Amino acid sequence: MFRQGYILGFFLCCISFSLAAQYKIPEVPKVQTSIYDYYNLLSATEQTNLEQKLIRYSDSTSTQIVVVIIDSTKGELINYLGARWGEEWNIGQENKNNGILILLAKTDKKITISTGYGVEHLLTDAMSRRIIERDIIPYFKQNNYYGGLNRGTDAIFEVMLGAYKGSRISKQSEFPFEVAIFLFLIFLIFLIAISKNRRNGGPGGGSKNTLSDIIDVIILSNSGRGAYRRSSGGFGGRSSSGGGFSSGGFGGGFGGGSFGGGGASGGW
Amino acid sequence: MKKYLVPIIIVLLVVASLKWGVGVNNMLIEKRGNARVQWANVESSYQRRADLIPNLVATVKGYANHEKETLEAVIKARAEATKPEITIEKGAITPENMAQFQQAQQGLSGALSRLLVSVERYPELKADRSFLELQSQLEGTENRINVERNKFNTLAGNYNIIIEKIPTNVIANLRNFNEMPLFKSEKGSEIAPKVAF
Repeated sequence: MFRQGYILGFFLCCISFSLAAQYKIPEVPKVQTSIYDYYNLLSATEQTNLEQKLIRYSDSTSTQIVVVIIDSTKGELINYLGARWGEEWNIGQENKNNGILILLAKTDKKITISTGYGVEHLLTDAMSRRIIERDIIPYFKQNNYYGGLNRGTDAIFEVMLGAYKGSRISKQSEFPFEVAIFLFLIFLIFLIAISKNRRNGGPGGGSKNTLSDIIDVIILSNSGRGAYRRSSGGFGGRSSSGGGFSSGGFGGGFGGGSFGGGGASGGW
Repeated sequence: MKKYLVPIIIVLLVVASLKWGVGVNNMLIEKRGNARVQWANVESSYQRRADLIPNLVATVKGYANHEKETLEAVIKARAEATKPEITIEKGAITPENMAQFQQAQQGLSGALSRLLVSVERYPELKADRSFLELQSQLEGTENRINVERNKFNTLAGNYNIIIEKIPTNVIANLRNFNEMPLFKSEKGSEIAPKVAF
C-alpha cells in the first residue's frame, strides 16, 4: 500500500516535470562575472563597459546584478526560468540575498528582471515592470540592446540606492597586514645591512661602500618584490575569481543568494 | 578474557547501532523540518496572492460593473482559499490536507483567470495605472508560488526518497516518519493563469 503510493507519487512527479518544458541552465561558470552573452548580442566594447559598470556597482554595494543573454527559453516561462537561474547560480550575497538577474531571450523577444529575496521590497514587481517598459524596451525596439541594458541597469541602481553597502569580498583585507609585516622585515634587514657595512668599511673605502649599498638595496628590493608577487599569486589562487582586481569578475564570486520568483517580464 | 569477549562485542554493537540510529533520526528530523519550512513559504506566497485580491477587485469594480458575477466568483474563491481549515498546520501535511489545499487554491486560480480574461473588454481599465501595477504584482506572485512550490517538491521529494531507502527506512518506520505529499500538477496547472498585457 505504502509502496504503491510512493510509486504513484513518483510517476506524478515525473509527469509534472516532463510537462513543463525546462530550459537547461548552464553550470555555474568558473569565472563569475556580471555578464554572460550566450547569444553574442553585444560587441566586445559594449560588453566590457557593461561588465565593468556592474562589477564596480557590486564592489560598492555588494548587490550583484547579472545580465544573461540567451537565444530562447525553449518554451519555459521566462519569469520562472529567471528565478530558477538566479537560484541555481546563487547570485547575490548569502545572508542578504541581494542578487538581480536580467535575462534576455533574443529570439523570443522577451526580457525578465528576477529579484532575490532581499531585493524584492525595493525592486518590486511593479517597479521591475516599469523599468522594463520605460527604460529598456524603447531602446530594444530600435535594436539598441546595449542602450536598453545600460539604461535599465542605471534605473535599477536608482531604485536600489543606499539599500546595501559592501566592500569587495575577497581576502584583500588581510592582505595589507601581511605585506606590512613583510615590508617591515625588509626594512629591518636593510637597516642591519647598512649598519654592518658601515662598521666593516674602514676609512678610505667610502666609494666602494656606497656601491655595495646600492647593490644591496637593489637586490633586497628585488627579492622583496619577488616575494610580494609570490604572495600575491597565492592570494589569487585562494580566491575563486582569480584574484584580478579590475577585470576578474565579482570579488568572491556569486555569494549564495536565493531567489523566490519576484520580478517582472516584458516583450518587445 | 574469553568469557567477556562475547558480551563486549554485543555491547559495542548495540552502542554503535544506537549511535547510528540517533544520527539517522536527527538527519531525518532535519530533512523533514526543512521541507516544513518550505511549506510555510509556499503558504505565504499563496497568502500574498490572496492579499492582492481585494485591491484587484476594487480596481476592476470601478471600471467594469458588468462583471459582477466574475467578481463575485473571485471573492468567493478567495474566501474559500483563506478559510482557516485550509491552512495546514506545521506538522500536518497529509495527503488529504494537501488535496484540500490544492483544490481551494486552484478554485481561486480559475476564478482569477476568468476575471483577467473578462478584463480584456475594458480598454480603460487596462490602461489604468494601479491596475497595471496590480497586474504585474499578481504576475510576480504567481511566479513566486511556482518557485516556492517547486522548492517544496524538491525538499519533500528528497525526504520521501530517503525514508524509503534501506537502511534508513528502519528508523523511519520506528520513529513514524511518514511520506510527505507533493504538489501534483493537474491538468493545465503548470501554466500560470494568463495575465494578459
